[in-house]
Amino acid sequence: MRLTQAILLLAAGAAQAASSWSFDDASISVAAKKGSDAIKEKFSQKAPLTKPVGLGSTDTVKIILTAKEDGKAKRPHQAFVTIKEQETGLEAPFPLTVKDTGKAVVQISQKDLPVQFLLSPKPLKASVVIGSFGEARAVNPPVFDIEIQTDPNTLLPKYEAPIRYGKKPEIHHIFRPDPQSPPKVISLFFALAVAVTVPALFISWLLLGANLNHLTKALGAAPLSHITFFGSIVAMEGVFFMYYTSWNLFQILPVAGVVCIVTVLSGTKALGEVQSRRLAGER
Amino acid sequence: MRTLLSFLLLVLASAVAAISTSGNRLLVVLDDVADKANYSKFFADLEEREFKITYETPKSDSLTLFNLGERTYDHVLFLPVRTKGLGPNLTPKTLHDFVNAKGNILLALSANTTTPTSLVALLSELDITLPTDRNSLVVDHFNYDITSATDKHDVLLLPAPKPTRAGIKDFFSEGAGTKLIAFPRGVGAVLGNGQLLNPILRAPRTAYSYNPKEQAEAVNGDDLFAAGQQLSLVSTMQARNNARVTVLGSAEMLQDKWFDTSVTKLDGQPVVQTFNREFAKRVSGWTFQEIGVLKVNWVEHHLEEEGAPNDSNPEMYRVKNNVSYTISLSEFAWDHWIGFNVPENDELQLEFSMLSPFHRLNLKEESHRLAAVHYHTVFTTPDQHGIFNFMVNYKRPFLSHIEEKNTVPVRHMAHNEWPRSYVISGAWPWIAGLGSTVVGFLGFVALWMYSAPVDAGKKVTVKKTQ
Repeated sequence: MRLTQAILLLAAGAAQAASSWSFDDASISVAAKKGSDAIKEKFSQKAPLTKPVGLGSTDTVKIILTAKEDGKAKRPHQAFVTIKEQETGLEAPFPLTVKDTGKAVVQISQKDLPVQFLLSPKPLKASVVIGSFGEARAVNPPVFDIEIQTDPNTLLPKYEAPIRYGKKPEIHHIFRPDPQSPPKVISLFFALAVAVTVPALFISWLLLGANLNHLTKALGAAPLSHITFFGSIVAMEGVFFMYYTSWNLFQILPVAGVVCIVTVLSGTKALGEVQSRRLAGER
Repeated sequence: MRTLLSFLLLVLASAVAAISTSGNRLLVVLDDVADKANYSKFFADLEEREFKITYETPKSDSLTLFNLGERTYDHVLFLPVRTKGLGPNLTPKTLHDFVNAKGNILLALSANTTTPTSLVALLSELDITLPTDRNSLVVDHFNYDITSATDKHDVLLLPAPKPTRAGIKDFFSEGAGTKLIAFPRGVGAVLGNGQLLNPILRAPRTAYSYNPKEQAEAVNGDDLFAAGQQLSLVSTMQARNNARVTVLGSAEMLQDKWFDTSVTKLDGQPVVQTFNREFAKRVSGWTFQEIGVLKVNWVEHHLEEEGAPNDSNPEMYRVKNNVSYTISLSEFAWDHWIGFNVPENDELQLEFSMLSPFHRLNLKEESHRLAAVHYHTVFTTPDQHGIFNFMVNYKRPFLSHIEEKNTVPVRHMAHNEWPRSYVISGAWPWIAGLGSTVVGFLGFVALWMYSAPVDAGKKVTVKKTQ
């Protein structure tokens, strides 16, 4: 049983080696829509066209061939011109219309091609597939290249690749630039210019005759209230300094309140003393 | 005690049903229950994987996919039936509901029988198009088995399918070697452009589909349905809820006679083993959620700042904080969980997004545990406050979808978190101004209270004029 199978197999192999499909009388013609000056070139299974065939936007490529099985013209079941885009490997089959005599014909124009083909930077590769049932071998030889010539006056169709799940490009957030200060020299200069106004103020006061001559008199009249009044004003500035450096609002409010009460209480007495000096005509 | 008992029960339950992640109740719909003898090896393999198989014919009254709103089966396998419809129990709507309820469907077609309308309707809803004449056959005059299909060329021989793109996990061709998949008398489908659809096995470049009744002589012009790699012989659809639908073009490839048999390819090695048994196992295993199922074990993020507390998953971050993010992933492999390794040329990506992503970062493998792989990254939160999401949206062909979203508010800087004004050199003139005002004010107070007039007489005259 097995032996007969093997023999059958061998016989089948031998038969297959013997018969195969082929094509003959193949030609390609490119015809523009208006004019009839078709460019016609012949090609065969073993001699593909070396020059690419140009296909303009209104042109039609017509491929004619005769399919043969073992040299006899016959109608194959499959007779396709397969056009392949080299970048993506995308293929489009164009079945030939075959007669009983094996004569096959197909017409291809730009609008029959998928959009990706029109945008292809490289020429398209065309091959002829001829095959059928039975033992005769099918063939698939490359036959010619097609160069798409797009009309510069018309817009190219747009092709958007369908969305596929996959990794996406990385995104890194671009941060706003940090705030910047002017050069330190300038800041220092103006800080000093501001600081210098204090001695300038004091000196101008002195020149206008400012003095502290009544200090002893005031301290002699009301020593405690003058010291606490002036001290509480200084302390208030201290409270503000603490607020600037470390304290928060709830820490300064009670302290400021206490200082204010002290200021009011001691101030009435101290300022009363100042008023008495004024009433005495000493000011 | 009760918790311990329930824990033990849970362990037991998981040990029993550890085979598929989505249950083990399998319904097989076939014409005649006796037909299953043809597929005995395939069903034996399924039973070995602990599936509880119920065989039903479409005419059976007891056949129902839902009972009281719950699925009665986890998976359905359709073998070719000769009837034109599938009866009232298997309408397209029922099948659609079954998929929506996370049920998996494996659909085996055949060129010898017409596909029931209810299945065609389901497939067209999924954007999988079958030949309109519903009687088509895929042939290839270059890649056929010369022993069994010498004349008809309808037993296609194909190498095990490699992933079509880089970055896709290879589930179906691993370990195939030189073995070939025999695809006898099958139907090819054309897939739509949706991203949920993926072909497992595509036809060879020279294959084509034709109708043996109408196109017996030759395939002409416009009658061609599809040819070449656009014909998908085994197609899959994974829904957004991770339910899986697989269309197997040839039910015959599951039959015993194509399991571990030998075939001969034109110009190939004289005798080659078929890969069908392993391929059938993998395709059914993928469809019934035994492989390619991912799960997130946990997500952890914390503040990565020196001297700051680094509690796990804090409720809030600040702008421009350094944040560390870790996610642990596992993959189910037939009967147990293993760590999930991202395929080569692919990346697991974290998006930190508010409406649109501000950051999209590749996560790096941090550590590999027994049944989990941890992926990790550190980044700085954007200088924009608002409600942000840590989003891992990992959707890949043949892997169940992961969409892990953790919402976290990002607050702006508090008033005491900015640099102090004395650190900013531009503020120095203003600070000097403050200081001189204070000193000037104190000097003025002292002067006003204690200064004596320089010239008493002058003062008096002034007073008099007033």
